[in-house]
Amino acid sequence: MTMMMPKGQKRKLSIEEEASDYRAPTWESQQQFLLTVSLNKYQFSQQLREPSLRRSVLIANTLRQISLQMSMVPSVNVEVSEPPGIASSALTASIAAAAKRHSAVTVDSCSALATCPMVSLNYSPNSTEKTNYSSESNFHISIEDDEDWGSMSTDTDSSLSAVISSILAALDSTIDGNPQPAPRIPLRPLENMSKPYEGSVALVNHGLRDPGDCREQQEDGSMEVMRSSYLGDFTVEDLFQDIDTSLVDIDMGVIGHRSTEGGHTAGDDLFMYLPPFSPHSPFSPHSITPTSQNAQPALIGQLA
Amino acid sequence: MLSPIQVLCSDITTLSLEPEPFASYTEADIISTVEFNHTGELLATGDKGGRVVIFQREPESKTEPFSQGEYNVYSTFQSHEPEFDYLKSLEIEEKINKIRWLPQQNAAHFLLSTNDKTIKLWKVSERDKRPEGYNLKDEEGRIKDISTVTSLQVPVLKPMDLMVEVTPRRVFANAHTYHINSISVNSDYETYMSADDLRINLWHLDITDRSFNIVDIKPANMEDLTEVITAAEFHPHHCNLFVYSSSKGTLRLCDMREAALCDKHSKLFEEPEDPSARSFFSEIISSVSDVKFSHSGRYLLTRDYLTAKVWDLNMESKPLETYQVHDYLRSKLCSLYENDCIFDKFECAWNGSDSVIMTGAYNNFFRMFDRNTKRDVTLEASRESSKPRAVLKPRRVCAAGGKRRKDDISVDSLDFTKKILHTAWHPNENIIAIAATNNLYIFQDKLNSEMH
Repeated sequence: MTMMMPKGQKRKLSIEEEASDYRAPTWESQQQFLLTVSLNKYQFSQQLREPSLRRSVLIANTLRQISLQMSMVPSVNVEVSEPPGIASSALTASIAAAAKRHSAVTVDSCSALATCPMVSLNYSPNSTEKTNYSSESNFHISIEDDEDWGSMSTDTDSSLSAVISSILAALDSTIDGNPQPAPRIPLRPLENMSKPYEGSVALVNHGLRDPGDCREQQEDGSMEVMRSSYLGDFTVEDLFQDIDTSLVDIDMGVIGHRSTEGGHTAGDDLFMYLPPFSPHSPFSPHSITPTSQNAQPALIGQLA
Repeated sequence: MLSPIQVLCSDITTLSLEPEPFASYTEADIISTVEFNHTGELLATGDKGGRVVIFQREPESKTEPFSQGEYNVYSTFQSHEPEFDYLKSLEIEEKINKIRWLPQQNAAHFLLSTNDKTIKLWKVSERDKRPEGYNLKDEEGRIKDISTVTSLQVPVLKPMDLMVEVTPRRVFANAHTYHINSISVNSDYETYMSADDLRINLWHLDITDRSFNIVDIKPANMEDLTEVITAAEFHPHHCNLFVYSSSKGTLRLCDMREAALCDKHSKLFEEPEDPSARSFFSEIISSVSDVKFSHSGRYLLTRDYLTAKVWDLNMESKPLETYQVHDYLRSKLCSLYENDCIFDKFECAWNGSDSVIMTGAYNNFFRMFDRNTKRDVTLEASRESSKPRAVLKPRRVCAAGGKRRKDDISVDSLDFTKKILHTAWHPNENIIAIAATNNLYIFQDKLNSEMH
């Protein structure tokens, strides 16, 4: 069967049947795969001439489903060790709880946009990496083994919920005729990084944030990376050049990894999901750090 | 009782094809809608380039028995042009989403055509006479020198070569924020409705500067949006009733007498989900892509991704009949989601007597189901198998690795770029029109032309 797949994206498994056993690796990897595909689809749909609302709604509903399933699976609820002083932990917890109660998280658009974390997915095309399987996590680990990704799952629920909310809020702004349409960001892809990538370091280098704003660097930031070679040959620098952070406070807690020092950890590819951003949506009163002036707004919120 | 399926299998012949096989085609040539008029004499197609082509059926000739009932091009015109919405910085596609004919009331024919945003009413009329013998103008239209006019004559109508004129009579614009997916003419012949993803508007055919909103499912907070309108149609006889379908697989029958805003349905048709069959794709494949009232007005035909269902208007709890169109795709849903095929919107059609239903599939296959005999057939619309006068051979799709007969197609060999989304059935006869990408195929059941 001819399948139009993004170039270079290999599937881990030939998924022909949906397993209903939540603990089966097949089901989990399929879920992971669906998450990746759904987010990619949304990204591409934003680049089309006119997004089809039906398609976007169906994809958003699928994402909600995945989010709900993830939150319902018992193995997902692993301990989240967070430093006590994280301001947004309560917000995250409430969002995660809301996601579990209700398939549609009706977060206020401003908070959704402001707190929309980078949703990055770990997608490891190499079958050898499949074996790096944390027993506490549904997700594959593609970095050093000493990283604990267990906490990522809970954060992903809330991140997905917020992403879904921002998707639909952005649909409203683009389609419903707001005076200024949401500038659609053609998501610049990342080149496959052969070297471990220090996500937060790169961001610092481009002045996207003041080092002083970086709060949560350790332990709470959970970020998976997606190796998606189909995305092309842009570098991380190119990606961030497009980001206009003049209206969004970039909280590097999202990017930070668990680390004993400095919050800079090795990582593989960084995949940032940047939903369209409506400059007219109200924002939570986070401090704005204007940096790059010419780039598109980015949605990088804090995830505690 | 005639069994049309059986006869069609053995005797279906090809009447006409698009001329000149192209090696490749432009995207603008892709047919996006097909519709017979109420007598079946005219067949209209719309394409992605915004053009409408009308075919007319040649009257059957006793002297040339083989030319009976062929459809030839009657008129071609540009219905919609690409536009640009400056406010939203979005292009508005000129693709014709739907064509609907008005019932004929005089010598002229009227049809409604719509793209994503604007509906237009077109008048199709013939001119086969022209006046000759003007006093002040000569035959070429030049003004005569008055001094040369010595006598008066009365202009007379002389026959001329038939000319088909298509003129736009109404433009119904600026009423839809979202993409129009359906239009439907009411049985009162005065009003029609247009439906987009979230709203349905009621128009009067003579009034273009306003319309009434009769359904609005847009939530106050767009983040709460989980369902869109996918199709809508008026009841064929009751001018107060209409139905609309949703992306969640529900049908809502609304009565305009109940309230000005028909957000509250009179009847909700929904099949309860089988919990054992639930998957991530359950909702997507339950999304209804087309809904059609039967000619009798008693039944509804709906198409979702894998099935076609017949509903009785008197029974809301479940469909009367469910037909599996291509159930072999059920295990491929993940791949079909990946390559976007799962979002394809297939149309469906009734035959004139509501005894047979038809819908399209992939690999240029289309399926017909006889509701009475429960027999079904898969046929292919392709150049190779559709030489004029040829008899269509039934096709079969076998599961990968399964027992395979000669000429069977394996599921893995299906071409998912060749999809038959648009089909139409003649209102009275066993003639069907199939749109396969940029080609139009018209098939006829020769032995049993009349509907039984």
